Parts: sequence; structure tokens; C-alpha cells
Amino acid sequence: MDVSQYLEIFLDETNEHLQNLNTQILDLEQNPEDSDTINEIFRAAHSLKGMAGTMGYKRMQNLTHDMENVFSEVRTGNIKVQPEMIDVLFQCLDALQEYTDNIKNSADEGTNDNEPLIKQLNDILNKKGGAPAPEKEAKKEKASKAKAEKAAPAADAADDSAPWYKVTYDESQISVLKEVEKQGKKVYALNITVNEDCVLKAARAFLVVKAVEEKGEIAVSFPSSQDLEDEKFDNSFMLIVVTDNKLEDVIKAAENVSEIKSVEGGVFDTSKLGGSAKAASEEESAPEDKGAEEVVKEEEAKPAQPTTAVAPAANAAAPKAKDKKAGKPIVNRTVRVDIEKLDSLMNLVSELIIAKNSLVSASTGTQNNSAFNEQIEYLESVTTNLHESVMKVRMVPIESTVNKFPRMIRDLQKTLGKKLELYMSGEETELDRTVVDEIGDPIMHLLRNSADHGIESAEIRAERGKPETGSIYLDAYQDGNNVVIEVRDDGNGIDVEAVKNKAIERGTITPEQGAQMTDKEIINLLFLPSFSTAKKVTDVSGRGVGLDVVKSKIEALSGEVEVKSQLGVGSTWTIRLPLTLAIIQSLMVVVGGEKYAISLGSIQTIETIEKSDIKLVQNEEVINLRGMVIPLIRLNEVLENESHPVDEDSSVVVIVKKGDKIAGLVIDELIGQQEIVIKSLGKYIKQVKFISGATILGDGEVALILDVNALL
Amino acid sequence: MDQLSLINNNLPDDGDETKVVAATLQYVVIRLGAEQYGIDIRFIENIIRMQRVTRVPKVANYIKGVINLRGEVIPVVSLRLKMGLEDDEYTRATRIIILKSEGEETMGVLVDEVKEVVTLSENDIEKIAHDSKSNKPMFLSGVGKHNNELISLLDLSMVTIEDND
Repeated sequence: MDVSQYLEIFLDETNEHLQNLNTQILDLEQNPEDSDTINEIFRAAHSLKGMAGTMGYKRMQNLTHDMENVFSEVRTGNIKVQPEMIDVLFQCLDALQEYTDNIKNSADEGTNDNEPLIKQLNDILNKKGGAPAPEKEAKKEKASKAKAEKAAPAADAADDSAPWYKVTYDESQISVLKEVEKQGKKVYALNITVNEDCVLKAARAFLVVKAVEEKGEIAVSFPSSQDLEDEKFDNSFMLIVVTDNKLEDVIKAAENVSEIKSVEGGVFDTSKLGGSAKAASEEESAPEDKGAEEVVKEEEAKPAQPTTAVAPAANAAAPKAKDKKAGKPIVNRTVRVDIEKLDSLMNLVSELIIAKNSLVSASTGTQNNSAFNEQIEYLESVTTNLHESVMKVRMVPIESTVNKFPRMIRDLQKTLGKKLELYMSGEETELDRTVVDEIGDPIMHLLRNSADHGIESAEIRAERGKPETGSIYLDAYQDGNNVVIEVRDDGNGIDVEAVKNKAIERGTITPEQGAQMTDKEIINLLFLPSFSTAKKVTDVSGRGVGLDVVKSKIEALSGEVEVKSQLGVGSTWTIRLPLTLAIIQSLMVVVGGEKYAISLGSIQTIETIEKSDIKLVQNEEVINLRGMVIPLIRLNEVLENESHPVDEDSSVVVIVKKGDKIAGLVIDELIGQQEIVIKSLGKYIKQVKFISGATILGDGEVALILDVNALL
Repeated sequence: MDQLSLINNNLPDDGDETKVVAATLQYVVIRLGAEQYGIDIRFIENIIRMQRVTRVPKVANYIKGVINLRGEVIPVVSLRLKMGLEDDEYTRATRIIILKSEGEETMGVLVDEVKEVVTLSENDIEKIAHDSKSNKPMFLSGVGKHNNELISLLDLSMVTIEDND
């Protein structure tokens, strides 16, 4: 089978599963007996194995197979979760990631068999059957076992009773079945197993259901028909069929569907449904609920584990959290869309907005046509909404990127020999997809930086009266038109003197310059290329390639990075990113006869200032606005053109703000607010620092967009 | 086709083209001051009339600014300034030639006038060897003979190479 067309889906899903596994195994480390987590891990590993097998990646399949074996033993309670085992599992995940990366780069998984890992996994397997599980343990085991069987009934085919007696039926189902049995109709049970390498299991299930329905009526299906449709089953599912036909006919009908491995069938005897069925008042997922309840209680009883508790598991796990309450998985109906298609949709919306702007500017000439103007206004609101919707489609939570960090910090603990705890908040904060993809590395670097340079060694921490465990915080939140991501630690902070001495030593600055520089300016030296104050180069950071890369990467995303630090107390790194990349609300202004756009997000107020109110402080022009002294920037000087103010005696000043910095931009004239589409100036025109792009106005003219952040 | 309607002189007949067996290249002949130059037609996407160019501050002087070409913002470069001639004077004949070559960004170059399209056989083109020792920027890729006239063929890579100033 040619699978190359599935490669992209494969990579996407593999990454999702790996991320999920990482999160879940971290979870497992904290709560080694959480059956939900174990099941989730098992499921993810199983899917991975199946996918790798389908795609023909044998090494990957082998490794996941052995991992799955371990999980399966954990699930049945034969093996207890040990810290060493978690380490091995993480190494396996790294190996899998390596395979995935290889596949991504070359469509080939590489030649590393990872035999030592497989051996370690087998060692774990062989050590099983240690201490017998205590009674309480056993109870839970049962719960998880019941669930396990539901998920993979075929796995225990060797068991005495047929698989269909092992699942739980609710009362209404039982009464229906008993009723039809009384009527003398035949009730058969079918256990259908799909080929392991089947790509579209749901489709196969659908075909089987359809074929069987021709022979009779399906009374019950396991899992439910909704779950079948959503592919929420392993490789097999069960159907209870009410029919007048012979059993063989029904089996044959099911077998005729391709990619079906086996169909096991038998006469269904309702009397065999014992009292246990009556006890189960809810749906078939009842035992699962019980298990979940137990787990919830347990979680409450345990001391809070903020990292793992806060970190919501990626994708698949999210609905899982809900189904603890609801008892039924809530399915998000999603479609995977190529980002390129979204880009082209975005471009079309941009074109539409430009066209709309043209209409608006054309309509300003024609007065007294209220119907026309009404329609234009309507068009405006529609295009604005359309734009917002398209933007929303492109927005994804940063979760997918930040979820790998708890794992990273855990690994760092071991490499650095420090106790670290990562607290995350705001993972649900959404950003443009392209930004989310790019932002991972810079954040990772800052976190590593905090862990390595920021957090002190245990002895120093004890001396300073700080808790032994160093805390690193990763907070994300939306602030107006920006998304702010903060990396904070309670470590040593930046030693400004050390940075200064280093800079002087390296010849970056002269001692005289150093004496004049503010602390902030000195700290900013850290962002220069090849600057590292680490006394020794470690594996983690300190090679001097880092903060400058962080800065340039973030600036490439039209964002900025700042650092605040207090020696001995800690540092805060703040990354500020624009929420939207393509279309913004802006204020159009005129400077020296040329039109410029300023992003509305950074504008505080617009003031008319009398000439006499402009004062000179240290040879800089400032104004005193409601008790605040605000420096003025004459835009015509920055833009190198001649100012033609409308009124000689007063100036229009746009007060702009970035973080805690504030300034007044002196302009000639205001045009008004406008929604603009940001266009790049292209690579040919070398980045002009304070121009963030250009836009096309309604009349077809090009106006440049001022980057306020670069002006301040 | 709109680009062709803007060219002042006649186009070569399509019939001519098919008869020629040897490899031929087509060049658009443009005027800069008193000189005539040829630009390889394969790199020309469009020829448009002069339009308002938005100045971009703090860029090299030969970058005139940016224009809106069907919703795209593209830079416009003055060939005159790039070649060290006097600054452009916009007339009715001034055109912006939109260049597009593979791997490069679309850009416009200002020319005083677009004259005609000529078809040159490869045999009629004499390549100019680049003198690597000379610091003088090279603007020409060769010289073509057409109707006993010599046409200097512009080397387009020069517009994308930055000046040192």
C-alpha cells in the first residue's frame, strides 16, 4: 500500500500521541496508580504502534510494541510503577521522537534499533509478579480490568465465557433483549476484529454495521454507535443482533467486509446476564465511572501537585477530564486543515477588506445616499466579523507547545542536580498557529536559562533562606492586542556587575561606557550575540548562543522580549507578541504629507498640545500630561521628512505605550481609524527598524505602518 | 497582454518566430537617458505606467519606495541611481518594469521609456566576461546585435545586489 499520502497525518498524529504520552507519564510519576492515566497511556501507545506498523516503520513499531507490553502489565496490576521504569519510558519516548524526526526529514525512520531500551523494557517485564497487590489495589484492578476488557475484548478471548458476557448492559438494553427473546426471535452476538493495520477503522465498522443491518436489527453495540463512528475502539467491537436469519449468514455478511480479521459469533443468552447487570444503572461506562470516582478521591487526598494538576493533558486527554463528570466522552468535531489553505483564505479575506476599504473611500464622495451608506456599513461589519472568524480559526492554544516543558524541567532536575518545580498558567491562551509553532524554542531557552543560571544550588538557597526546590513559573495571558508570556524564577537574578565586567573584558563596552550605563542597559547586553556569563559551559546553556537567538526569533514574529531582575530574588523574562499578524485596527495619521498607520493597540490617547506647553528637560522635549511627564518624539524627524502642521500654534500628539514606557508622537494631522491589512515590505528592503510593514489604502495607495515598539 | 499594449513600437511578428530554428531570446528594449538597454523578457512579469511611489525612510537612495501591484506591496528601484546616473525625472513615457525571477522577490525598476521587443539569436549575443578584479559594478551581461544596432543587455542580478554605500 502506498502510504506516502498519509505521511503528514501520521507525523501530526504521532507528535500528538508522543506529547500526550509525555504528559501522561509525567502524571503517572506523580500518581502511579491512576488507572485513567494508565489506560490513556496504553491507548496512546497502542495507537502509535498501529500507526507505525501501517506506515511500515518496523523499528518504531517494535519499540512501541514493547512499551505497550509494559503498559499492559501495569494496567493489569502485574507491574508496579517504579521511578526507574519512568526513566526508561521517557528514554523510549525520546527514541520515538528521534524516529519521528527522522521520518519527518527523510521519510525514513533511521537505523537505530534502540536495543538497549528494548532490553530494559523486557527486563521490566520479566521482573513482574513481585509483591501481591493489596486488597484495595485489587479492587481497583478489577475496575480497570473491566474497562480494559471493554476496550479490547479480543485480547482475552481465551477466557471461559464469550466476550459479550463480559461487558455490562444497562437495564433498558437487557429488557429489550429479554423481550425479543420471549418473542422467539434469535439474538446473536458478534465480536468483530478489524485488521490491525486498517487505516480507516471507523469506515470498516460502518460497513460491517450496514452489512449486518441488512440481515437483522442491531440491538446493542459495544462501544456505542457514536463511538464506533468516531473510531473510539481498539481493533474489535461487538454487535448484538436480533434477526430471523441464521447465525452463519450474519457472520458471513460481516466477514465480507474487507480488512476484517475475524468475526466471532454465538447465540446470545440473556439469562447469562447476571445480577451485576442490574446493579449497573447507568450505561456501559458505569464501572469506568466508579474507577474514575475512586481516582478523583485519591487525587484530592494527595498533596497538591501543581505542575501536573494544572497542566491539562493535550487533546485526547481534555475530553477525558470532562467525562469523569459526564460519564460519556464529549467529542469535538474537528477537521484537519492544511495551514496553506488557511493562509490563502486569509489572503482572500485581506483582499476583501482592501476592496471594502476602497468602497468606503469611494462612497465618501457621494453624499445623501443613505441606502448605499447603510449597505457599506453592513459590509464593513460583515468583513470585520469574517476576519475575526478566520483569525480564530488560525488561533491555537499555546498548550501544544508548552506541554513539553514539564518533562523538560524534570529531565533538567536530573542533569543539573537541582530541585526544580515548574508552575504553568494560561496554557489556553491562544496565538496564531504560525507563532505557536515558532515560540517553543525561545521559551525553552528561557526556561533552561532559568533552571541553569537562575536557580541557585541547594546550599546557596538554604543560606538565603529560600525553599530547597527552585520555582520556575511560565505564565501566559492576553494583554490588549498582545499576548504576554512570562518566564519567572525565584533564583539568583542577574548579577549586573558580573555582566558589566564581562562586557568590558570582552571589549563589548569600554569601562567608561560601563560606568554610565543604567542597569537596564547592561542587562540588555545579554541579548547581544555570543554573550554568556556562565562561568562554565554546561550541557544545558551557556554556550553563548542563546539569548540573541531568542531575541531575534521573537522579533521575527514582530514581538519583543524584556527582562527584569533583582539580584538574589529572581528574574522575569517577558515575551510580548502581537495577537494578530495580518489585519489590525489602526489610526491613520499624516506626517509631512505622507500617510502612516499606527496600531490602535498601542495608542493610549490623542491630545492637542499648545506649543507653549512643550518643555525642555535635559534638552529633550517633554509635555506634562495630567501629572505625567511624557517625552515627545517628532515623527517627521524620525521619518526624515518635513512637517507641515495644520496649526502652527499647537501640535497633535498621539500618546503611545509599550509596557511601562510611554511617549508622545508628534504628527501633523489625524485621518481616522481604519482596519488595515499588514503587508510585508519584502526582503529586498532591509528591515527598517521602526516600520513594521505596509498596507494598501482604499484608494490603492501604499501607506507604511509605524512600529511603535521600536520607536520607544 | 496589457504589458505589450504599453510598448510604443511594433512587436515582431509571430510568424518570424516560428521560422527561426536556432535558440532565440527576446529582449525588451528600454531607454535610460540617451542609452538603450535590453532586458530579458523571461524575467519581466509586467510593464506598468508610472504610479505614486510611497517613500520608505532610511533605505538606500536607489530604492524609490514601494507601490501597490494588484494588492501586493513591491519595492521599486531606480535603475538610473543604481547605475550611478542622474536621478529619474518622471515623464509620460516613464514606466515601471515588474521583474520576477525564480527565487527572487518581485520588484519594479524605473525606466525612462519602453521602446520595443527584439528577438535575438544566440549567435548575435556576445557575452561580456566579468572582470573579478575590477571593483566597478557590472551592469551588463552581454551585447546583442539587432538591425546593425548594438543593444547592451542588462544583467538583472545587479539590481538585487546591494551597493556598498
